[in-house]
Amino acid sequence: MKRNRLAEIMLGLGGILTSAAFFMTFFWAPATVYPDGRVDFAQKIFYFHVPVAEASFLVFFFTAFYSIRFLMTRKRIYDTKARIATEVTLFFVLLTMATGILWTRVEWNVWWQWEPRLTTYFILTLLVIAYFVLRNSVEDEEKRAVYAAAFGILAFIDAPISFFITRWLNSIHPIVFGGGESSGLEPPMLITFIVAQVGMLMLGYAFYQLRLREEELNERLEALKIELGD
Amino acid sequence: MTQSSSWRQFKAILRKDLVMELRTKEMVTSMGLYALLTMVVYQIALAEAGDNFDVRLVMPGLIWVAFIFMSMLGLNRSFVHEQDQGCIDALLLSPVDRPVIFFAKFAGNLLFLLVVEFLSLPVFSFLFLQGREGFGNPIWLVAVVLFGASVGISGVGTLLATMTVNTKGKDVMLSVLFVPLMYPLLRAAVGATFAAVIGGPGTVETFWAFMMWVAGYDVIMVLAAYGLYEFVVGV
Repeated sequence: MKRNRLAEIMLGLGGILTSAAFFMTFFWAPATVYPDGRVDFAQKIFYFHVPVAEASFLVFFFTAFYSIRFLMTRKRIYDTKARIATEVTLFFVLLTMATGILWTRVEWNVWWQWEPRLTTYFILTLLVIAYFVLRNSVEDEEKRAVYAAAFGILAFIDAPISFFITRWLNSIHPIVFGGGESSGLEPPMLITFIVAQVGMLMLGYAFYQLRLREEELNERLEALKIELGD
Repeated sequence: MTQSSSWRQFKAILRKDLVMELRTKEMVTSMGLYALLTMVVYQIALAEAGDNFDVRLVMPGLIWVAFIFMSMLGLNRSFVHEQDQGCIDALLLSPVDRPVIFFAKFAGNLLFLLVVEFLSLPVFSFLFLQGREGFGNPIWLVAVVLFGASVGISGVGTLLATMTVNTKGKDVMLSVLFVPLMYPLLRAAVGATFAAVIGGPGTVETFWAFMMWVAGYDVIMVLAAYGLYEFVVGV
């Protein structure tokens, strides 16, 4: 049960770090200003939006990873792990979408813009949703697992595309890290961001492990029910 | 298993699909009719826009919308047949390598898709482009896009249709999985077609830049589909 202990610690730490990052965002990290001197308050969402977005990419990687593991070993646990990783991905994807849309409304004056990053991320959202639609429409358990694994691997190909596309194409989506001279952060901003990011990844890990535990308990319960029924 | 026997098996499966198609003409007629109906819908969509705008601006998008939905129709049919008549079970029982099945089905689907595409494109031009400006670049560039994008469509489609034919809402399921996965390819195909149709300085370079996308997508996705097919078929 060591793993569960770790998950609980991560949940606590992640909660503390993300809350701390929230306060740092508003009371410590300097606000950016527009060229005309107005304060760019909307930029504050960066400390939430980017951590959840990075977390969504990272957790989705585990979907692909466990899908490959499943196809190699055919062990059911990897299918469960891939599914739960995708659930956590969906959670982060929806948060990313919601925060992103709020920001574009303020900064670009539109709720939505068909811009490379937004478009590919929207596709990613659809693929993650499609993963669950696929799972729900296959009745046979083995088929469901294999199909979901195959689709999970194919769907993951979009994640690196979405991540790097702002660096490949002309995109109006900001590139904060390694995007030329105007990119990069001042130290207090960078530290706030790192705290938020690390906290978010810890939360992601905790969500994943706790959901996995729930699922394992469910499976044991089902097995016991069948045993009792006989 | 020798190289030549795989090749023979490949030909046998492909010939089976071709013979069945030549006898029933089901796929090509249903796909062609679907393309034709889409064009009727386009007429409705463009009805109020009048004659003042250049149809060539929207043409690349329109033809790819028609082709992507048409291809799903064909892909779905191609596997419904296999399943209804128990053919896929027989194929899996016979000593045929799974990759051979993938490539044979892939080739068959690609062939049917290309036939319908090359038939419906002149019809589109006949219906919408008469009396308007011609294509800016040589027409064979359009053929290059059609071929390049169809490879990706059939490759990924063959894998997905093999899966979705076993799901509850077969064709709906195919579109849910297929369209988002096709996005990068379609985007590049429309870009390349646009460059080929509009013409002008620099468009040939744009065309080949988009074709590089198409080629990259084809290589990555067809390889992925090929690698995954073995797991997916006959679970």
